[in-house]
Amino acid sequence: MTSAGYDSPLKNAKTKARALRYIQIILCALMTVGCVFPLIWLIDFSLVKANELFGKNFLVWPKEPHWENYYLALTDGKVPQYLLNSVFVSFVSVGLIVLLSVMMSYGFTRMKWRLSKVFLNIVLLGFMIPIHATLLSNFITFSRLHIQDSPMALIIPYVAFNLPQATFIMTGFMDSVPKEIEESALMDGCSILRLLFTIVFPVLKPAVMTVIITSFINVWNEFIMAATYLTSDRFRTLPFSIYNFAGMYSSNYSAQFAVMTLSALPSLIAYVILNKHITKGIAAGAVKG
Amino acid sequence: MKLLKKSLIAVVIMAMLFGLAACAAEKASNSPTPSTTAPEDSPEQQPETITINFFSNLPDRTAGQGLLEQTILDNYMKENPHITIKVEALQDEPYKQKFQSYVASNNLPDIFNVWGQPSFFQAVMEKGYAAELNPDDYKDYGFFEGSTTDFSYNGKLYGLPRNQDMTTVFINKAIFNDNNVKIPTTYNELVNAAKAFRAKGIQPLSINGRDKWILNLFFQDLVIKVSGNQRTIYDASTGKTSFASDPDIRKAAELFKGLVDAGLFQDSFTSADYGAAQNLFLQEQAAMFYMGAWEVGMASNPDNSEHFRQNVALIPFPTVEGGKGKITDVCAWNGGGYAVSASSPVKDEAIKLLNYMMHPDNWPKIGWQQGLVVPGQNYKEYMTGKENVLQVQLTDILNTATSMSGTPWNDFNPGDWKANVENLIQEFAAGITTVDEFLEALDNVVPK
Repeated sequence: MTSAGYDSPLKNAKTKARALRYIQIILCALMTVGCVFPLIWLIDFSLVKANELFGKNFLVWPKEPHWENYYLALTDGKVPQYLLNSVFVSFVSVGLIVLLSVMMSYGFTRMKWRLSKVFLNIVLLGFMIPIHATLLSNFITFSRLHIQDSPMALIIPYVAFNLPQATFIMTGFMDSVPKEIEESALMDGCSILRLLFTIVFPVLKPAVMTVIITSFINVWNEFIMAATYLTSDRFRTLPFSIYNFAGMYSSNYSAQFAVMTLSALPSLIAYVILNKHITKGIAAGAVKG
Repeated sequence: MKLLKKSLIAVVIMAMLFGLAACAAEKASNSPTPSTTAPEDSPEQQPETITINFFSNLPDRTAGQGLLEQTILDNYMKENPHITIKVEALQDEPYKQKFQSYVASNNLPDIFNVWGQPSFFQAVMEKGYAAELNPDDYKDYGFFEGSTTDFSYNGKLYGLPRNQDMTTVFINKAIFNDNNVKIPTTYNELVNAAKAFRAKGIQPLSINGRDKWILNLFFQDLVIKVSGNQRTIYDASTGKTSFASDPDIRKAAELFKGLVDAGLFQDSFTSADYGAAQNLFLQEQAAMFYMGAWEVGMASNPDNSEHFRQNVALIPFPTVEGGKGKITDVCAWNGGGYAVSASSPVKDEAIKLLNYMMHPDNWPKIGWQQGLVVPGQNYKEYMTGKENVLQVQLTDILNTATSMSGTPWNDFNPGDWKANVENLIQEFAAGITTVDEFLEALDNVVPK
């Protein structure tokens, strides 16, 4: 752009700005490709025959799409049944996680009691417990309680494992919210529970959204606990659909891709709808440090 | 804002109610030992309904072995209306994980899948989790000689094998002919073929190196062909001899390296998984494919191209110049099988079911005729003449075999052995370690 001779500082700044703009656009484009490509790849592979995959090319565009992969996913993969189970389990689990984490973080940040810091730390310690270490003991406990092979066997551990993170986000966020609103509500004679649900909950909306999304994705994709605690087909969740196409040695990959496309849809849609809140929530929760 | 708040509260309350209701309902319907349930109100049926819990490692019930298993179970339920079989199927890793949970809570399903390898089944038999079977029941079942060895402990039989596994080299005759390459019968011919294909830009042999175990089998095949003694690799694995000092094993390792250097395996083979390696061969981009005999169905699978189906063939693993192993000394074993839980409340019924499944008319006959498996039982009488070319060639090799290896060496010892030797061979195949380093490392992980 620069012509021979004298460049005015203004022009210089303009070129700089434009160059920056280009870099920005290129970076954004790269990131978009990075995010969108796996999805295209997923959908592409769900429409070809299994033995056409992994050829010379990254993407294989089928001459005619093999919709039978989706048919297989819906019938042999039992996607509709598992989907209902998944929806039920995630719904209940996420509901409980939100309720408990809001109440707990309120108790930890707003109420003054001895050992509250200690208990908060104990809850947060849950971060460090690996799921695999708990499988066996939980399995035995659940079978003694006779809740093994029931939705409860999933909901309880799902809530337990997601609570630390949820509480962490909530307490962080609640710390950054000024107390004045609550104080004035109290002065007007509001009860604690009413305060919690009518005043605090709406203020916490961004954090609640973050918790809903993160725990929903965790619960939605969880497999090893479901495989361990469930026995019968009746309560199985979506990730099992993929395994319905896993053979002894090789698998029907394209049917699996179809299943994955179907099971990724709900999280994808949820993310698109709630996207705005998620980033806000995470950033807000991070302020506490 | 208000709407959100209200709906959130409603959601949470609904969720809790649902959860509680489901829990209560579940408790009511879940009896502590769900094996024998009360009689149902159909007068012509036998008085008692029996439920047999079946734990399988074949989650795909619509293809291959899973289909075979489900077909036989369905037939059994049709013939015995008072019996209900509840199948729980998980893939290998989750299966093993859950198996441990079942064992720990002393709650094993009535009949379950086992692997006839010391690393899995020995402990199960030793600790008495598997019910003893009566060998006399199986006199007429035609199990291949020695195939029940890995399912026995202290002279007692605890399980039955379901398949005959063997390593084979699948080839694409068209690629060999079009490029004027000789189909290899010896090691040097294999090296030459690799070089000839490489010169023309064709991938010589496809292998799923990412799965590691396949490399162990390949190495074992080489050791067999060098030493001519099936025991060689097991003696080293158990510490009777050593990997580093056994001249045959050292020779085999050098030959293995020679093949890697000649470019026999496809590009980036250490990152190719089963599907990727197989598809390379199915799409006729690789001349050979090293895999177990269970893939003989490839020649009749309508999903594969006509050209491929007409040109696929299989050959035994090539001999080695100067080696003592014959072409008929093969790497073959019986992998999966079934056992019955010793503590099952319906043990007798479970054994009856097992006997029905493995009856010559069921698993071996249906499995062979539909091209789903290579049975661990004599299937000669079920040959229909309609077998595909791979099935015929495989049968020839099996029938003329002069020795069989048994459990692959990477599955031979319990504990970390499997993971260790599989990692070591992958590093060796990837060129990270030298022959010496590889052999010494193997000796170091032999259980003392």
